[in-house]
Amino acid sequence: MIAGIWLDVLDEIARTCGAHGRGDLLQTVRQKRVQLLDPRLRVLVVGESQQGKSQLINAIVNAPACPVGDGRTTVLPTVVQHAEVPSAALVQAPPATPGRSAAALPGTGERTPVPLDQVPAGVAGTLGRRPGGGPAYVEIGLPRALLGSGLVLVDTPGTEEAAALGAAGPTAAPAWADTVLLVSDSTRELSAGELTMLLHLARSHPNVVLVQTKTDLVPDWRAVAERNRQHLAEAGVAAPVIPVSAALRLRAAAGDDRELNAESGFPVLIGRLQRDLAGKSDRLARAAVGVIARTVVEQLAAPLRAELESQEVEEQSGPISRLHAAQREVDELRRCSTRWQNTLADEMADLLSDIEYDLRDRTRQILREVDDAFDSADPLVSWDTFQEWLERSLTEAAEANHEWLVRRCDWAARRVADTFARYGGDVLPPWSVTAPADPAEGVPELERPAVDRFTTSQKLISGMRGSYGGLLMVGLATTLAGMPMINPLSVGVGALFGGKSIRDESKQLLRRRQAVVKTAIQRHVDDFFVRVTKDRRDAVRQVQRMLRDHFTALTEELQEGIIRSFRSAKQAADTDAAVRDQRQREIRLKMTRLAGLFDQAQQLTGGRPAPAPLEPRP
Amino acid sequence: MTVGLRLDEAVWGLLHEALQHYRDNPRATDHLRHQLARLEQPLRIAIAGPWRSGKSTLLNAIMGEEVAPVDGVDGSAVFTWYEDGPQPSATAYASGQPPQELAIAKSATGMRVDLVGWRAGELRDIVVQWPTRTLRQVTLIDTPATGRDEQGRAPVMERVLRDADAVLYLTRDGRDSDLRVLETSRESSVGQAAAVHVIMVLSRVDETGGGRIDGLLTARRLARRQHRDPRVNELSVHVVPCSGLLGLAGRILSESDYAVLAALARVPRPELETHLLSADRFLRGDLPVRLDTGVRAGLLDRLGLFGIRLATTLVRTGCDSRAKLSAELIRRSGLTELRESMARLLIDRRETLKARSALAAVEALLRADPGRGTDDLLGRVEQILVGAHEFRELRLLAALRTTRLGFDADLAAEAARLVGGDGVGLAARLGVEHDATVHRLWDVASEAQWRWRNRAEDPLLRLAQRRGAQVVVRSCEGMLAELAEGGR
Repeated sequence: MIAGIWLDVLDEIARTCGAHGRGDLLQTVRQKRVQLLDPRLRVLVVGESQQGKSQLINAIVNAPACPVGDGRTTVLPTVVQHAEVPSAALVQAPPATPGRSAAALPGTGERTPVPLDQVPAGVAGTLGRRPGGGPAYVEIGLPRALLGSGLVLVDTPGTEEAAALGAAGPTAAPAWADTVLLVSDSTRELSAGELTMLLHLARSHPNVVLVQTKTDLVPDWRAVAERNRQHLAEAGVAAPVIPVSAALRLRAAAGDDRELNAESGFPVLIGRLQRDLAGKSDRLARAAVGVIARTVVEQLAAPLRAELESQEVEEQSGPISRLHAAQREVDELRRCSTRWQNTLADEMADLLSDIEYDLRDRTRQILREVDDAFDSADPLVSWDTFQEWLERSLTEAAEANHEWLVRRCDWAARRVADTFARYGGDVLPPWSVTAPADPAEGVPELERPAVDRFTTSQKLISGMRGSYGGLLMVGLATTLAGMPMINPLSVGVGALFGGKSIRDESKQLLRRRQAVVKTAIQRHVDDFFVRVTKDRRDAVRQVQRMLRDHFTALTEELQEGIIRSFRSAKQAADTDAAVRDQRQREIRLKMTRLAGLFDQAQQLTGGRPAPAPLEPRP
Repeated sequence: MTVGLRLDEAVWGLLHEALQHYRDNPRATDHLRHQLARLEQPLRIAIAGPWRSGKSTLLNAIMGEEVAPVDGVDGSAVFTWYEDGPQPSATAYASGQPPQELAIAKSATGMRVDLVGWRAGELRDIVVQWPTRTLRQVTLIDTPATGRDEQGRAPVMERVLRDADAVLYLTRDGRDSDLRVLETSRESSVGQAAAVHVIMVLSRVDETGGGRIDGLLTARRLARRQHRDPRVNELSVHVVPCSGLLGLAGRILSESDYAVLAALARVPRPELETHLLSADRFLRGDLPVRLDTGVRAGLLDRLGLFGIRLATTLVRTGCDSRAKLSAELIRRSGLTELRESMARLLIDRRETLKARSALAAVEALLRADPGRGTDDLLGRVEQILVGAHEFRELRLLAALRTTRLGFDADLAAEAARLVGGDGVGLAARLGVEHDATVHRLWDVASEAQWRWRNRAEDPLLRLAQRRGAQVVVRSCEGMLAELAEGGR
């Protein structure tokens, strides 16, 4: 009657899977749909080894269908189902290929008939299996009314771990079963491993039953069953416990003993299976849909929730942070601009004073040497040599000074460029300061200063002037002695005095000449100094201007880039916030829809209060 | 075996060297002195196994009395030691508290220890002194269930391997998870040398096959199959099937029990069978014999349903006295075989096993507390492991069991016998009757020596075979030397 409703919900789930682009989940849902529409009840028997799984199946169908024994008898899963005549076959799926393995449906494989007397070998996996083939299973057909009504029993190899449950291929996978019987024997309570397996099964499967076998062996099986129920209740697993004894059942069947059959506990188990079979298209299917809805919703919601959470984290690391970084860059550039201007001005002022001092120092040195030289030398004699030396010295001084200027300019440019270090790259101006062609250009040629020469007539006159005094002085004295005015003695003294005065005169003249030359040279050097200093100042100012222009241009360029990135960051931040808001709205919407779907599926199971696995965050 | 380097002397020397090495470390010194003392004590055999594998029942069966388990403290990791002593007593050792005497309640077939007043996890060891012949040569240790914790370690098994010289490892069906726990024993180099100290016991075999009457036979077949499995073989020296419940029942079978069983056996078989179909039927049904529910429950408790089936069948087929039934039950339960294996493989090799655990302890100490000179001592451990003839014999035995080295079955069996695979007594090694004269022993031994010497020098044999033959020759020489000294 309500078959339509759960089918609708299942289709809705499938659509949701498709909408979320989860092909794998869609596949599972479709498989589940096929399975739920199949009228047969697929019962999977699982449990640890040596618990009596195969014997349980034998006892249910009342026939030695599955081989039982000690050690590991069941290696391949065994499917027991209805057939008109007893038959057995080994079914092997084609080798698993990527992408197809999950889709391989039970029943699509290569079938090899197995003679009935070789079934144990087949189940033990030692018969007729192609090496390298896919998962295989044994199919046993039996003419039994119970099976005829649509019951399919699947025996599995014993396993201790929940994860290994589906390892024997899709035939033995709990996902394919309508009812899962976990078998545990009565000689002890559920072990930790079995409890874990039960928990695992109960999470993914709506219909799990704990079958406690071998109740004939131990007297206190009731206590064990009670404790098992307690364990289940503690673990929160809603699985019923059905104690059975296969030995009693088989014995009862052999002797047709109704009382013994009732004692074996099997009527309860079979009743349960028949109820499941009858209610498969209704109660069971609804429960299955409920479980699959939960699984699907959990799977779909998990990435959405993760995305929501990650977005909150991203807010700190996304475009907004890039915007802040750009802002910081702008500020930094502003600071940098002030810094380089100051550096340039300071450097240039220093440079100028240093260069001037250097030039002054060099010219002073030259003048000192000039003074020294003309303290002794006669400009008349050494002028030509001297002039040549002076010219060379001055040129050298100017050149050395210029060279230093160039180096200092270069250095200053570097200092300024250093303030741009964080922007990297080569920020130095591509040119360097060029030397003026002739440093001494424009300085007037040093004229030979007009100096007095000591001519012969001058010498004669000054000699006469000197000798006159001496002659007269001695002549007068000797006249007293009666000698004539002009006598050899007075003439001699007159000659002596004349010579002396000539010498004195020439010395004076020399000094005067030297003084004249010194003054002239000093004036010349001063001229030179003024001239060169002017040149230097001009050059420095020119360099300063060039550097300023260069670095201003550079700053502007940088600023433009930074502002552009700042703008784009701002824009990105704005759009990103918008996109995120939209995405969040979308996710919330999707989650609300999922929650709706989940509620719808849960209502199918008859209002059983199940913990909602998700709440869309407000 | 006294040929060449004597193992116990070498180990003694090594322990003293280690003592010298660790003279500044009081903890290590204590530990080493403890190991030295252990060399003189009886062999310690631990009974270990997973949860509900029948450890305490088997211990009771071996002791022949109901003394285990000492429980009451739920799920705690208490080791219970059963030692020989002048009178019954039990002492509790808790961490951080002085030892405390426990009250004992004696019963007809054993005793119970009163553990009232102890909190879970408080106790560490309980030492029970119990005067019995079984404990003359061994100390038995009842252990908590071995299992792996979240880190994949097996703490109980680790302690078992530390404290015991030999282990009876119980498993119901030799499943993988049980074997993995046992693999803990192979972590150190001593552990890898040869698993000579573990006997694997397939326990609770009376439940095999759902309690069918031929269950014990299938269990025996299963044990043989397990023994041939290389994985199991590598971990244990032998695999024995044993039902502790039946064995214990056989050992404490009383005349009144026998009388009840005999009365039951007189009931015609088909009729009795319907009553023995299930435990419930036996307890509540209308037995043709008048039996109190209490008696029935007691019988079921002691023998189990399978035990009652087996016992009635046995009585019907000729065990017409308590002693006969008891002996037959013990034999069928596999207890006889287990006790014999214990005697032959563990107790006879007491000194080797003691030396082995001392070596393991020294190795563990050296590895845990390395320093200058520890490498030399580790080298000495290895040297003793490689050089001692006892270990060579055991290694050859293991090799013979797994591969037979390419010898044919007869030769392999002879080699195994000569190196002590069937028992280390001279007669057992030489395969002659117990009361053979020295003269005859000498003849057999020298003859074997000559044959195996030829084999050891046969250039046509493979190297591994020649090496194996050399070990056999040395064992023969050892026997001759022992005979020459006048021993038997």
